[in-house]
Amino acid sequence: MAPKAGSKMTREEELLLEGFNKNVSTKSSALFYGNAFIVSAIPVWLYWRVHTVDVAAYAIMFVIGTLVSTWLLAFAYKNTKHVLKHKLAIKREAAVTKEITKKLADDKKISKKKDERILWKKNEVAEYEATTFSIFYNNSLFLAIVIFASFYVLNGASPTVNYGLSIGSASGLIALLSTGTKS
Amino acid sequence: MLKQFLLVLTVGISQLNADDGSARLLLAKQIHNKYLVEGMDIVVKYSLYNVGDNAATNIQVSDNGFRNEDFELVSGQTQFKLDRLGPGTNTSQTVVVRPRKFGYFNFTAAEVNYSGSEGSSVVLTGLSSDPGQGVIIAARDYEKQFSSHFLDWAAFAVMTLPSLGIPFALWWSSKSKYEAIALKKD
Repeated sequence: MAPKAGSKMTREEELLLEGFNKNVSTKSSALFYGNAFIVSAIPVWLYWRVHTVDVAAYAIMFVIGTLVSTWLLAFAYKNTKHVLKHKLAIKREAAVTKEITKKLADDKKISKKKDERILWKKNEVAEYEATTFSIFYNNSLFLAIVIFASFYVLNGASPTVNYGLSIGSASGLIALLSTGTKS
Repeated sequence: MLKQFLLVLTVGISQLNADDGSARLLLAKQIHNKYLVEGMDIVVKYSLYNVGDNAATNIQVSDNGFRNEDFELVSGQTQFKLDRLGPGTNTSQTVVVRPRKFGYFNFTAAEVNYSGSEGSSVVLTGLSSDPGQGVIIAARDYEKQFSSHFLDWAAFAVMTLPSLGIPFALWWSSKSKYEAIALKKD
């Protein structure tokens, strides 16, 4: 695309750069850490009720485990979202273009900024879908691994070993998987 | 269980020599439970076998091993009487008790008193087989191993539903909206 007026190019460049930037906004960060904390804290219920572990006695272990898991889970969310966003942006381009074109069809004045609007909307949709899917996917995987590790693999192990290894391996594994750039 | 069953065949003690024509009773005491758990029923079976030549009369079986502070009597009697047991016959009684505490417990032998022949004033005494020491498991440990924790899992499912359901629903609504737009022919 040939560069035109200075301000438009800068805005487009901005949007393009935003697509490649791995840093998340404060709102996104809060969303990720909030979700990660909730999902990391829920397995403690299972340990208390099903494994009948005394929570008061192992409080420190549970707190540390939850915090470490929260951080790793949020890390996984960010990475997964970043990878997904690119793929989704390509996928949704046609649909978003159609939507914006239809919206601005009547108004000839804004049609000049159409490309910018399409890019912005595509970015937003990709961001939204990538974020929600990343959270869903990582949560499911995390909970599945914790349940499998805690009740099948490590059933009968001491509370410390059971909790430490289940939570550690689940969050570690999904953090590791999220760093993969392939699909 | 096998050990207890074998003990049935190794008799108790008899006070008098078994004369020809005298009844001889063997008493077996068996615990019919696989697990002994605090607060859960234990089934105790007393079996009487008359291996003598005469009928035993005025039979009295008493088991003082289940003290009231340790066990609650649910069904049956720990002391029961039988009028007559013919030669070569057997009978059995079942008692159900419920332990009040957990820990090691020594199941002691029960005692049987009877007359060797009808009309005889001589009282013969015997002791039952001794089930020996058993472990009564704490209710908490038993529940931990065997309970299905259905409600706990249900509560867990309810708690995780928002974390999984909401992101999925949001993603799905956006995805289906844009896929519909892409498929729609202008």
